[in-house]
Amino acid sequence: MSGTPIQGVTLYSFTRAFHAREYDLESLIRRVAADGLGPGLELVGFQSLRGFPHVDDAFVERFRALIAELDLLPTTLSVNTDIGIRRDRLMTDEELVAYMEPQIRTAARLGFSAARIQISLSPDAVQSLLPLAERHGITLALEVHAHQHGEEERILRMRDRYERLGSPLLGFTMDWGATTVGFAPSLVEAYGRRGAPAGLVEEAVRLWQRYAEEGAPAGDEEHGRRFGAFLELGARAGRPDLGIDLAINATGLFGPARIDSWREILPWVRHVHGKFFGIDETGEEPSVPVRELVALLVGAGYSGAISSEYEGWHWNHWDDAFDIIRGVQAVQRSAALDAGSRMLTSAADARASLARELGHPAGVV
Amino acid sequence: MIADRLIEQGTLRTDGTRVRVDVRMPWYRALPASSIAGADLVVDGVAADPSTLRWTMNGRTWRFEELPPRIDDWWFIQDAAVLEGELAVAPGEHEVEVGLRLYIPYIVTDHGVLMIDEHGTRTMTAVAA
Repeated sequence: MSGTPIQGVTLYSFTRAFHAREYDLESLIRRVAADGLGPGLELVGFQSLRGFPHVDDAFVERFRALIAELDLLPTTLSVNTDIGIRRDRLMTDEELVAYMEPQIRTAARLGFSAARIQISLSPDAVQSLLPLAERHGITLALEVHAHQHGEEERILRMRDRYERLGSPLLGFTMDWGATTVGFAPSLVEAYGRRGAPAGLVEEAVRLWQRYAEEGAPAGDEEHGRRFGAFLELGARAGRPDLGIDLAINATGLFGPARIDSWREILPWVRHVHGKFFGIDETGEEPSVPVRELVALLVGAGYSGAISSEYEGWHWNHWDDAFDIIRGVQAVQRSAALDAGSRMLTSAADARASLARELGHPAGVV
Repeated sequence: MIADRLIEQGTLRTDGTRVRVDVRMPWYRALPASSIAGADLVVDGVAADPSTLRWTMNGRTWRFEELPPRIDDWWFIQDAAVLEGELAVAPGEHEVEVGLRLYIPYIVTDHGVLMIDEHGTRTMTAVAA
């Protein structure tokens, strides 16, 4: 049966405005609701919530009342796997599990149905978190983000563990940045504004395309080699600062995996980051194949949330993020119609659909 | 990442021997004090002696060598921290440069935990404090 994905947004898209104190959390959520960018709402705990992972009962009550008043659906709370928080060594699996617990509990208290977790958790660590997820009725969705992808070795090991455990509460967050088709035009423009020497960005774009033709990096070693090649381009052009920037963006934001690579993990996708970088003059996203990705999800019967995740804000300080989100959501809705289905935009439909998709209602404390 | 806002305009203060300036988070989320690897404060091309630098956030002031064990003190992204150091600066216009090195605790590469090295420069008017 065709899927009916849920329209939504992550507040991460508005990092620039939030960081500039143009909004506080409440006014930002009100703006999202007023602009009709939901019903799905995601946020990053360590970005949006002062004192995270600790929030008091009065805050929880205010947050839930606001969500109810605006008729939004809190889909996923993005939590962080800060394995390198200590200066003397990395955290052990046991310490990481303990570090994740208050974050996941806060997700449930705030009424989210899922928590986005990150790659530093080993299959054993994720397994250790399962009893907590069961207690709170919350899905754990490990993010597959460039430079990882659906066929990468660590992701496949996690999938195999999921398969063995057979819990409906364990799955993946699919980040569309793993399967892009090129650099964002706004990024090329931004390098120009930063005085990139003639030819440097063109050379970087060509190098990216060559790697894309070779295929996504099979593992961390190949990723490291590519990272180094972009560093060297910048160094040779006398701009090591741009080299670092290019290396981070080219390998960490613009993943070159084929769309089909998602098929390896598609049955375990529980949440989606609809990562994108901008909308061009024809109303399309030139560097992320949004239409094909929506069609893939609809065809797979996916009826969970797609959080539109605008990442162009890093370099694009001249366009309005709210307009850009509106633009990509129009593309998503049109793609779902073309695929013979639709995106859910009413909160009531979305709530019922998410509960069916995840196999449980919103988390409980 | 948002390095264009590293130095908050209108915040340069001097008492004649020490200067202070507000610094904004150059990353998208809160980080703990243990992630702050180091900073530079330079006014009109003269760098403050690193041993005189102090870091104030959440109402507390630290020497930089006191920060690494502080994994429970969080720098929220809407809050400014204050970077302070010993420099003889008179009220009036100055060129201020700040460098800030931050570990990003969830990104581990072949070279260890990712460290970003951000720089900002602003022309600012110092006021007596």
